[in-house]
Amino acid sequence: MMFRTPTRRLVLGGGLATAAATLWHPRAALAQQAATLQLSWLHSVQFGGSYIALQNGYWRDAGLDVSLLQGGPNAPVEPPVVAGTALIGISAADYTAAAVTQGAPFRIIGVAMQKNPFAIASLPGNPVNAPADLVGKRIGMALANMPVLEALCAINGVDVAGIEVVPTQYDAAPLVQGQVDCLLCWATDLPVAMEIQGVESVTMLLADHGYAVHSQTYIATEDSLANRRAELVALMAGEARGWAEYQADPAAAAQLTVEMFPDAGLDLPTQLLQAERQLPLMFSDLTAAEGFGWFTDATVAANVETLALLGKPVTPDLWDRSILEEVHG
Amino acid sequence: MDRREGLARDITLEGVAKIFGTQGRLVEAVAPTDLVLKAGTTTALVGPSGCGKSTLLRLIAGLDLPTEGRITIGAETPAEMRGRAGLAVAFQDPALLPWRTVAGNVALGRSLARMPRDAAAVAELIRLVGLEGFEDRRPAELSGGMRQRAAIARALAGLPELLLLDEPFGAVDELTRDRLNAELPPLWEARGATAVLVTHSISEAVRLSDRILVMTPRPARIAADITVTLPRGEARDPASEAFRKTCAQVLAALREHQLPDSIAAQ
Amino acid sequence: MPAAPLFGRRLTRGLWVLLILLCWEGLARLSASAFVIAAPSQILHYSATHADLLWRAFLTTLWAAARGFFWGNLAGVTLALVAVLLPRSERLLSTLALLVFCLPLVATGPILRVLYGPGDGPQVTLAALAVYYTTFLPVLVGLRAVPQGWRDLVRSYGRGGLTLLREVRLPAALPYAVAGLQIAAPAAFLGAMVGEFTGAERGLGVLTVRAMRALDLPATWSIAVIAAGASVAAFSTIGALGRRLDLAPPEVLLAAPVARARNRWEGPAHAALATLAVLMLWQGTMDAFGLPPFFAKRPGDVWDYLVTDAAARARLWDALAETLSMAVPGYLCGLAAGAGLAMLLVLAPRLSAATLPLAIALRSVPIVATAPLIVWALGRGGAGTVTVVAMMIFFPTLVACRHGLARTPRAVLDVFAVYAASPLRRLLGAQLAAMLPAFFASARMAIPAAILAVTTAEWLATGRGIGALMATVASTSDYNMLWSAITLIGLAAVLAHALVFALERWVLARTNPEQLIR
Repeated sequence: MMFRTPTRRLVLGGGLATAAATLWHPRAALAQQAATLQLSWLHSVQFGGSYIALQNGYWRDAGLDVSLLQGGPNAPVEPPVVAGTALIGISAADYTAAAVTQGAPFRIIGVAMQKNPFAIASLPGNPVNAPADLVGKRIGMALANMPVLEALCAINGVDVAGIEVVPTQYDAAPLVQGQVDCLLCWATDLPVAMEIQGVESVTMLLADHGYAVHSQTYIATEDSLANRRAELVALMAGEARGWAEYQADPAAAAQLTVEMFPDAGLDLPTQLLQAERQLPLMFSDLTAAEGFGWFTDATVAANVETLALLGKPVTPDLWDRSILEEVHG
Repeated sequence: MDRREGLARDITLEGVAKIFGTQGRLVEAVAPTDLVLKAGTTTALVGPSGCGKSTLLRLIAGLDLPTEGRITIGAETPAEMRGRAGLAVAFQDPALLPWRTVAGNVALGRSLARMPRDAAAVAELIRLVGLEGFEDRRPAELSGGMRQRAAIARALAGLPELLLLDEPFGAVDELTRDRLNAELPPLWEARGATAVLVTHSISEAVRLSDRILVMTPRPARIAADITVTLPRGEARDPASEAFRKTCAQVLAALREHQLPDSIAAQ
Repeated sequence: MPAAPLFGRRLTRGLWVLLILLCWEGLARLSASAFVIAAPSQILHYSATHADLLWRAFLTTLWAAARGFFWGNLAGVTLALVAVLLPRSERLLSTLALLVFCLPLVATGPILRVLYGPGDGPQVTLAALAVYYTTFLPVLVGLRAVPQGWRDLVRSYGRGGLTLLREVRLPAALPYAVAGLQIAAPAAFLGAMVGEFTGAERGLGVLTVRAMRALDLPATWSIAVIAAGASVAAFSTIGALGRRLDLAPPEVLLAAPVARARNRWEGPAHAALATLAVLMLWQGTMDAFGLPPFFAKRPGDVWDYLVTDAAARARLWDALAETLSMAVPGYLCGLAAGAGLAMLLVLAPRLSAATLPLAIALRSVPIVATAPLIVWALGRGGAGTVTVVAMMIFFPTLVACRHGLARTPRAVLDVFAVYAASPLRRLLGAQLAAMLPAFFASARMAIPAAILAVTTAEWLATGRGIGALMATVASTSDYNMLWSAITLIGLAAVLAHALVFALERWVLARTNPEQLIR
């Protein structure tokens, strides 16, 4: 499974860059080990903790030269991790489970979002406050997410046949335009977009109704776990420190995100609101007690149960806490 | 004086025939023909439209291969002769390259014949065909007759030993045609080049050639072989009694082979 | 006094533009709560306040598009040259070129990202992939469309293929190349934008994704306007360059298909050869780059998967059927609209000044930006997707058909003029037949365009059909299904091409037999 970027130009460019770095900063270039963290989406405060770690040199101090590779609509996380271009990828338990079923040798080594961010967003005039309210409503969602809706209904004893599913692209327009009554989306993006546009909305977090699927999980290959442990530990330790700072001051993280990526088209109010909204998803009594990214046998068991409902049966072996134990130990 | 002077040789056709086949339907275009065209002479092929004259010309040029028989020019095949740029064709369709100017098209005749650039020679040819002042025009800006003249100039530019002219003056107006008939032949005759000319005009055939072959319609067959005994060049006077007699002879040969009057009358 | 009418015309045109802008503004204001249309004033405001950001993003995308444009066209021209110099390879090359052009972005994007790592490699490559086919075809036609007389001329001097190439084929192909480059310019921009979806750090494509998610209409529309403006500018610049070089526009944009098979085994033999070549290329490329089989499935994997999994076959089949139910009507509508407008412009030439720029603009707005907008506007039913497909096809068809109509021989038109025939009579009696070869050529070229349009619309907007299926399975790592879908799409494209080709021969044999002779 060892795979290196094959283009000669890149190798050459990398070599030149390293040589240049050695000339200018002889000490900094010494022991710097390159590692890539593949993000799951475009740059935003969603990855604020990582930006703090990069900005404050938490990785550099540990001898790690980390580059953050952003995702996008056509940039799945799993291939670069399998190929070895990225050391760690940010995925979610359900996507990881699917990839493992397809033969990818992944392990989940940390969980950034303790509560799954999936939510049902609706307008206050016709709200969805509980799964039972879904009956008789039109829900806009990607058909690919049908298993999510089915799992939610199964957990809460709602007849999924009573809900009208309208396939939509991932944006809030269909809800605002009245084409649907509610949307299946992340609590941290479309509701935030609507609020910024002055549209009030109601969100019902699936995680509050029994849907237990770890999200924004850190994945690495079994090969990396065996052979690149020190780098994994250093990378996760930096993440933990960065996210701890994020928790202390989410507004500063939002500010940093906007400054760090001037070309991303980010605006501060949106980032501030999003930073605020994702706090309760990432930090819980469990992380307060054990540290960032932690998971227990109990939370894993709950995940295994929900994943089975999603048609993605996995065993608890998918989770590997050894890296976190070294980080927080 | 000229690099190709005196190189011309007899053209020999031995049992040459051409049959076109299109999906089981065979058309005999040229019946088996034996013929010798003497070096340094000009021969005219006359006959009704579509009788196979042009096909015969293409066979001599080696652009098409005969179904039977063989053609030699001296000791060479047409292909070998083309290989050293020994022949030139002025096509019925002038086939000028639309992106080149008149001068550029004429110069192409030299460069295709692997001869060095010579602007003065090109200019002289353009003057001779009466296109002076049109050197920088594109073919699209010219009339049909002017295009044909440019194509003739191009064919002459390479100083060929064998010149094949396929209805070269078909679209040229009567006055210009008369002048070209007088001025152009010396260009190749003086060098001792051989020429074969396809034409519809009896008087043009008599005016230009040493020998006239009257062809029957499909398949092309030589119906009459008339030697023109008139003096060459300026001395050949179209108003003379002998000229008119030769014309009448050719017309009679055409009529004899039941040709439509419309063609024969030309 | 020519100045006064000229000024008057400009004034009228200015007034029209103003009127359109006012209508647009009013419509946008009225429908503000629906979040569909951004008003011109909002677009202006957004562009002004974010000028810096937009300018940087624009330059990034433009730079990637420009390099993709260069490499893609170089590849297209080289392929065409090879096909002409080695005529036996032409059919194989054409099939391979079509297949590679049909590779869905969903599949190529992630692979390119893994191959290149960070940077703009994928954007440049996808831009190149988006243009090479539309250059390959016209240049091939231009190189081949050499009258017999020109060949004879070169042959009569005993000169060979190289002289023919230098003196005749290349100059003859130049106008065709310019026409191809004109079409390529907007496509390169689109390719670069879609390439940015693979995790690029900056560019207009990145901004589009974010703006659409954030329900930021002024931003979405500003980007669409910028992309359209850049494309129209590139289109006109290349056209002007062609006129500057004093190139007569090509007589036919795309010409006659290759002669028919010599015997009945030739067709199947070619198909078998092409299949073999595709399979070897597929397996070979993946092996050469050492792509992990987790996401880079080989032909054998796809075969095993499709043979063993009946449920997968059914799922794939349903998705394809759904996609075809959108793509086919869209394809036919686009062709009909293009040919129809071309004919209308012949009947009423005054309209062309107003409609042509609009048509170019419509074609130039990247489908990435338009697809969601159209689907928003027309709803999630069939209408939206059908319209997206039709729009992609409409413009090239219009251009090709106009070229074809202009090719009607002058003498034939004069005959109709002598009898004072009505324009309609002239159109039906003379011009229609002259248009058909160009129409069919664009119908063939429209097949990959239709596939690109329908899968992109499904992926970004409607969430149905094979486009959405590919996006879904890519996100859930079901790469067996992804590559099966790719195979099926490629197969569908080749079959559709063969079908149109056969129809073309059948019709042209009756209306334009001269087109079928090589």
